[in-house]
Amino acid sequence: MTVAATLVTLAQVWGVVGLAVAAVFLLWGIDRIDPAAHGAIAFRPLLVPGIVLLWPLVLWRWRVLSRAPETAGRFDRPAPARVHRRIWTVLAVVLPAILIVAAAIHQEGPRDTAAVRIAPPPGEAAAGAPP
Amino acid sequence: MSAGYRPVGWNRSKLVYDAGIVAAVVVYIIVYLQLAPAFQGVTLPVDDAVARMQAFGTCAFLMLTVALSIGPLARLDRRFLPLLYNRRHLGVATAVVAAIHASHVLGWYYAFSPTDPYVALLSANTSYAQLLGFPFEALGIAALLILAVLAATSHDFWLAFLTPPVWKAIHFGIYAAYVLVIAHIGLGALQGDDGPLMGIVAALSVAAVAGLHLAAAAMGRRTIDTEAPPAATAGWVEVAGADALAPGRAITVRFADGTAAAVFRDGERLAAVSNVCAHQNGPLGEGRIVDGCVTCPWHGYQYRLTDGRAPPPFTERIATYELRRYCGRVLIDPRPNPPGTPTAGIAVMAADGGDVAAPAHGEAPA
Repeated sequence: MTVAATLVTLAQVWGVVGLAVAAVFLLWGIDRIDPAAHGAIAFRPLLVPGIVLLWPLVLWRWRVLSRAPETAGRFDRPAPARVHRRIWTVLAVVLPAILIVAAAIHQEGPRDTAAVRIAPPPGEAAAGAPP
Repeated sequence: MSAGYRPVGWNRSKLVYDAGIVAAVVVYIIVYLQLAPAFQGVTLPVDDAVARMQAFGTCAFLMLTVALSIGPLARLDRRFLPLLYNRRHLGVATAVVAAIHASHVLGWYYAFSPTDPYVALLSANTSYAQLLGFPFEALGIAALLILAVLAATSHDFWLAFLTPPVWKAIHFGIYAAYVLVIAHIGLGALQGDDGPLMGIVAALSVAAVAGLHLAAAAMGRRTIDTEAPPAATAGWVEVAGADALAPGRAITVRFADGTAAAVFRDGERLAAVSNVCAHQNGPLGEGRIVDGCVTCPWHGYQYRLTDGRAPPPFTERIATYELRRYCGRVLIDPRPNPPGTPTAGIAVMAADGGDVAAPAHGEAPA
């Protein structure tokens, strides 16, 4: 099996496990960890793609919340303004650099150059040429 | 949302917003398919399937550019705040359009072979060691995966389930997706022979997005640094300019530990709450008082200034801070009260040094 085929198979396995986790979590687990989900059914199908993509994270959070429900104080964290500034200071260099490299390696096509007819070496007939 | 989840929190404004997104995408695709061939320096028009692939790809790129620009634009100019209000739907729409672009790629370049299209996509070009001819498709796949994760975790359930800091950290992935998309374009579309237009658009996008973010980061609007505390109120810090606040507005105070409080003026009183919204960590200090509640400028979440609690039936709570007046100066205790703790605040002082309204509580420093 090639690397590409292996990756595709792994992605399929990941997706199947994710669907199984989604089914159990949405039918049974979510009501036990989130009071706002009680009686709310229609929104649950919208969670399926996220659970399929992130099912290990879902299992971890499910386990944490089942053992020790968190308080509202968990929300109170500082806004990451400094992180934004640092990220964009770096990206302001990286992003133009990517475009500059892309322009530097670009190869011009031959459309502006006159075509040259290639002749076989003297004494040899061109392949496919009539005798 | 703490009052019970709904599939989509549509209201009239959000419906208009979403209708605008759909209309813009449809118009763009139609216009692109009609006009783009005139700007491409190819000898023959591209196939219809390729044209559709390009149309959806460029559309997703422009939508990503807009989505990334809205945040800093709203910080630089409050008139852009309505665009921020429903940005999540724009993000989901971007992921959908990008997925359509990918489906056109699979349905054209990898469809006419007995090899599985996904296997063919991953194995057709494995020249990862060289820039020229780099398998730029892999960059697009990575960007699409990130956009898919962000779209799939856009429901409010994920905020509560993962906690806002974790959710926010995941959604920082939008920046990685943008870098991957720029590389995807640079090593893919820009290496073709289709003329300079796409390169110009990509450069303008980078200039706009990076420039706006840097400008917003540099702007310290309505934010003050804390000064050294007076000796009589050890640990407390001064809030300069609080008495000059317009009613309903706030000034943001950043403490040495990186946390921040928003000091609001409500009528003739000042009170302080955390600057961090419990929803998505929005900057409450850039919001205002609406219907007696501090209102987040990002999504309209509200909290009572008197105790940091969302009005019923919602249950979110944020921290409050204690204020005092000392020698005419407004001081704030950098140690937050537990979320939802009632706080009295202090009276606004008039320009002549007297209180605008008689204080209801003792406000002399301890």
